[in-house]
Amino acid sequence: MAPIVVMLFASINVSSDLFAHLWSTVLPEYIRNTLGLGILVALLSLCFGVPAAAIISQTNIVMGKQLRWLLMLPLAMPAYLVAYLYTDLFDYAGPVQRVLRAWFDWHSPNDYYFFDIRTLGGAAIVIAFVLFPYVYMLTRTALEQQDRNLLRASRLLGCTERQSFYQIALPLARPAIAVSLALVTMETLADFATVQYFAVNTLTTAIYDTWLGYGDFAAANALASVLMLFILFVVVAEQRARAGQRHQSNRPNTEHQRKQLSLIQQILASIFCWFLVFAGFLLPIILLLIMAIDYADYQQFTALIDTGKNSIEIATYSATIATLIALTLALFQRLHQSRARMIPVQISGFGYAIPGTVLAMAMLATFGPLDHVINDVAKAFDFKAPGLILSGTVFAIVFAFIVRFSAIANGTINAGIGQIPKSLDLAPASLGVKTLPALFRVHLPLLKSSILVAWLLVFVEAMKELPAVLLLRPFNFETLSTQIYQLISDERLEQGALGAILIVLFGLLPIIFLNRQKDSK
Amino acid sequence: MTPLITIENLAVELQSKLILSHVDLSLSKGEILGLVGPSGCGKTTLLNTLAGFIGQSAGSIEINTGDKLIKITLDDMLPPEQRNIGMIFQDYALFPHLTVTENICFGLKKITKVEQAQRCEELLTLLELNELAQRYPHQLSGGQQQRVAIARALAPQPSLLLLDEPFSNIDARLRNELMIEIRQLLKRLEITAIFVTHNKDEVFTFADKIAVMHQGQVLQVGAPALVCQQPNSWQVADFLQLGSWLPVMFSATENSLALSSLIGALAPHRIKNIGACKNAVLTNFQLLVKPSDIVLSSHEANNVIIEHIGVTEQGYHYLLSSLEQNTTLAFSQLSFYSQELFMLGAELAIQLKGEHFLLYPT
Repeated sequence: MAPIVVMLFASINVSSDLFAHLWSTVLPEYIRNTLGLGILVALLSLCFGVPAAAIISQTNIVMGKQLRWLLMLPLAMPAYLVAYLYTDLFDYAGPVQRVLRAWFDWHSPNDYYFFDIRTLGGAAIVIAFVLFPYVYMLTRTALEQQDRNLLRASRLLGCTERQSFYQIALPLARPAIAVSLALVTMETLADFATVQYFAVNTLTTAIYDTWLGYGDFAAANALASVLMLFILFVVVAEQRARAGQRHQSNRPNTEHQRKQLSLIQQILASIFCWFLVFAGFLLPIILLLIMAIDYADYQQFTALIDTGKNSIEIATYSATIATLIALTLALFQRLHQSRARMIPVQISGFGYAIPGTVLAMAMLATFGPLDHVINDVAKAFDFKAPGLILSGTVFAIVFAFIVRFSAIANGTINAGIGQIPKSLDLAPASLGVKTLPALFRVHLPLLKSSILVAWLLVFVEAMKELPAVLLLRPFNFETLSTQIYQLISDERLEQGALGAILIVLFGLLPIIFLNRQKDSK
Repeated sequence: MTPLITIENLAVELQSKLILSHVDLSLSKGEILGLVGPSGCGKTTLLNTLAGFIGQSAGSIEINTGDKLIKITLDDMLPPEQRNIGMIFQDYALFPHLTVTENICFGLKKITKVEQAQRCEELLTLLELNELAQRYPHQLSGGQQQRVAIARALAPQPSLLLLDEPFSNIDARLRNELMIEIRQLLKRLEITAIFVTHNKDEVFTFADKIAVMHQGQVLQVGAPALVCQQPNSWQVADFLQLGSWLPVMFSATENSLALSSLIGALAPHRIKNIGACKNAVLTNFQLLVKPSDIVLSSHEANNVIIEHIGVTEQGYHYLLSSLEQNTTLAFSQLSFYSQELFMLGAELAIQLKGEHFLLYPT
């Protein structure tokens, strides 16, 4: 948290000229774009995720069991990859338009209308394709965990199946939908590469450009602070929505009778769900595979191993440290029943809301001066200057990742610890076992799968994260995501297709693992 | 008087397993039926089938509302909302996002707002909920929630009310009081009701008529007192815990049959239901023995040992086992009450007294 405070503080001290200048030139447009994108993505995710959740949880759709997890796969796809692949596909020079021109004998763009994907709307669609699974997952879980007696009661009180869905099931799922939309909005506001590629100027791209393009640290800092204010707004909304989530039931609604769809409904529902799976996952992965096969060569492979090693190394450090911290905090919170125990977790949970770009700025604002101090002190004692040991090394990246992703680890481990009955905290003492050994013999074994899931989730997020690495990495230090971003910027993703597939495959790990875990329950 | 609800030959199959079969029941207006039976006997399934949450695989249900006859058959399984049945769920199933008033008015969409407000007001007064009208369910105590659930179920004026273990979430001390209160309310409003419980004491307090279920079948239906006096099967007597079980055997004497057990013989005329048992002479039988049927014997040799001693308001309660354990007539857990205190593990001599015993094949 400290770096964020330093950043906000620094931005307050920015000379007012600069802010006035920003305000009179580009800032309004950036803010407009940022807000527009956030709202559009939230709306689209709502339109994709809620019907999909309703279809999967309430009806007898063909292949429902498969669609259940297929609909989660788009989460493994970084939005910027989809953006690049779809631009390739739907651009003027892309295969779709070429085929259309050939079929209808059109010759120039003036002959026909075709949507332009490199716009705000295009970016919103692409981002929504990969983020809607948040809405889908949380809504589906909410619908499935509703007390089936509530729905039965409404039927006996005169509601038809449809009415009881709209009057009871959906209103009860509202807090879950709100939480998922807040998550989607946070992710959207943090997005950097997609909007950058589509040349849609938002606050994240602006921060990046002002710092790396113009070297204006103060202005970048100011922009980051503005973005932070928006995020704060979403976080508050999310917290309020969570507070409303108190209707939970011990009688999950899984065995209820599913709605029998008519043939036409069946076809429409299938088209809808399969379209989402196809657009968000299958099509991009097929395009990537084709690229990888067409352009595979040995040199690319060795480069992949180098950057892959960097990525895995950073992700492993971050995942391990974040999981350990989360575990310590969670156990601390569980065993110390004071009011103050909630505070560390709540504060560290805030990190996830901070966009990588903002976080990176905050790191630079804090660690830069700190490095100078360290070097000055070293010189004063006649040691060799150690250089930028904090701000210019892998340390800064790992630190940023831990701040950003510890909320995921906290959430997962807290959920796991919540399932351990309180009586198990007391039982070991009654058997003469002290607290610490009891933690190792009782709590940790029971938390095994939560720990693994937490580790995997942080690992995958760290593999995918781009903007923070771009701003914080040492010179000549490449990870899979920065390499892919570089290749995408140069319009030659073909050479990084293998690496992209690797990121997606890693992204699939936690989804598969979580799914298997659910099935075995 | 035509019955209000008639259930004929009802059967339910779930996942190709027969859950209910040959269920026949009928109830007149204003009657309260208690469905009892061990867990898994199908009583909740029967309730859910009546409500329309589970489809029947055979049989029919007829509900006579007075002005129209609702007939639920295999060809025409009405959805729950068209059956005119109300239900009170075990956990009350109050809609958490609606206030007490909104919960009560939920089923009143068909009448005007003014009528709704009026009906709601009546129910709030009847159940003493006026001050809680604008609260949400989570702000109410368990007893208050139950009263809201009753008001909500009664609001649409259902012809039949179903109650699924309505008292299981209520504090034991309050339970009896509440049962009497609700029974009086249902009687005053002439509501026909079926309620499910696995607690035999509840059924004796609450019901006019009881139906004992076992493995998907109704074994016996009747007034509680009648069922207690004349249980028609081993399972009914066992579930209602009317006494303990003593294994007996028919033994031939010179000119007639007699029953022998480890605590003495019994002449056949002392068995009330001997006629029903004679057909199955060579199988094993169990005699239903009430604690008052056993006395200490002064002339017999010791035949039992004390396994457990409890204290009750009727004196000491002993559980006895036969001394001899290696025969088919061996027994354990025979209940016996006495004002006198014996030692645990002491041996006693007991014998049967009384003239009216019930005998069941096992």
